[in-house]
Amino acid sequence: MIRTILAGLPLTLLITATAMALGTLLAVPLTLGLRAGAPPVRWVCRVVVDLFRGVPQLVWLFIIYYGVSAGDARPTALGAGVAALGLVASGYLAEIFRGALKGVAAGQWEAAAALGFSPATTWARILTPQAARVALPAYTNYAIALLKDSAIVSTIGVAEMVFRTGQVARTSDMGVFVYVFTAVIYIALSAPLGMLSRRSDIKLREAVAR
Amino acid sequence: MPSDDADLVHTVAAEPAAVRVSGLSKTFGAHQVLKSVSLDVPKGSVTAIIGPSGAGKSTALRCMNLLERPDSGVIQIGSHIIDIDHGVSTRNLAALRRSAGMVFQNFNLFPHMTVLRNITLPQQRVLGRSRDEAEAIAHQLLARMGLPDKGSQYPNKCSGGQQQRVAIARALALGPEVMLFDEPTSALDPEVGAEVLEVMKELASEGMTMVVVTHEMGFAARVSDQVVVMADGGVIEKGAPQDVLHHPEHERTARFLHAVLER
Repeated sequence: MIRTILAGLPLTLLITATAMALGTLLAVPLTLGLRAGAPPVRWVCRVVVDLFRGVPQLVWLFIIYYGVSAGDARPTALGAGVAALGLVASGYLAEIFRGALKGVAAGQWEAAAALGFSPATTWARILTPQAARVALPAYTNYAIALLKDSAIVSTIGVAEMVFRTGQVARTSDMGVFVYVFTAVIYIALSAPLGMLSRRSDIKLREAVAR
Repeated sequence: MPSDDADLVHTVAAEPAAVRVSGLSKTFGAHQVLKSVSLDVPKGSVTAIIGPSGAGKSTALRCMNLLERPDSGVIQIGSHIIDIDHGVSTRNLAALRRSAGMVFQNFNLFPHMTVLRNITLPQQRVLGRSRDEAEAIAHQLLARMGLPDKGSQYPNKCSGGQQQRVAIARALALGPEVMLFDEPTSALDPEVGAEVLEVMKELASEGMTMVVVTHEMGFAARVSDQVVVMADGGVIEKGAPQDVLHHPEHERTARFLHAVLER
């Protein structure tokens, strides 16, 4: 039984990691778009962010899994799962990144400009490192949430941890206990992540405190 | 520093302008913050810009390196001339900013880097110096600022006065032709501000061309070669400090000086 459930662990981690990566990747242009000088770009990005965030992950999942097709090709369950979770993540992460950039004092842009830094250098060396430190706690927090939310892909048959727990629960006589076991695994995964985040937060706070 | 007036005037007239601003105008919404401001700063001299708050002093200074984009006007720093009406190319902008070092009221050091890195990174990225070369220059400047062992510290571990001196070192490291100071001591308590003013005085005596927006009348009187009084977005009076500060021609200047001295 333990074996069966743990066999779903790699898939849980894979879905979490790829959805987080996809979300981050999509969030970067969205963040830039939310701060763009041209109002139409800002509006479009705002609508996209609200669309991604505003629809439940489960609904996105069903829309993508059952609704999207190209000719005869349909998304795999795993692909649809990662896409749905990644889209929602990108909306939230874009907001996190936008807030973090806002937290970088205006004086930093000015100092960089006055020193003659190019925009690329200013982003790479001044803004991103400082914003990343501000964004880190919220970013890790989202990763922890996503780790748990990845369970929803079990609804379309992806055999990750919760899907397998359900199988075990139905076929063994241990009933709800198997879910307690799965709960412990999730805690064992998320607690260290949370601790790591708090630790580095304290450290980084010391380094960038104003 | 020349001791008598005639000598001073002579020196000023003989040197070419290091900073020349003419017809600088800027409007924020319906409010005209700069009304055709013109200003000449001879090479190697110090100009203090004083005046009541809201006069446009900082805006004028920030227009000189185009941190603020004026609506019109011509800005010359060293050999670089930008006419706003003809547009500003990225290359011109970079050249102008390279020749003007800027020091801010709130220091604006990069908090995620050590003091040393604050001074070396711009040299490497903007001038393409090697890390070793940049570090040698940074150490030299830190020593000159009286901060020889602060290199490995983070800015938040330094006092305000120390941070401002680091900021001056960071700007000097790029070898500017002109230094622009935007109320460099306003965020500091007087005693700490004095350390910074001391460094600025030294810089002036070494022949650095400086434009200083300040409320420090003592500094304006003792260190500057020219005092420019601004009010309501315009220059209302300029001249040698002893003239402007002691025998102001303009009633608005007299009122401002009276208010400052009464404080």
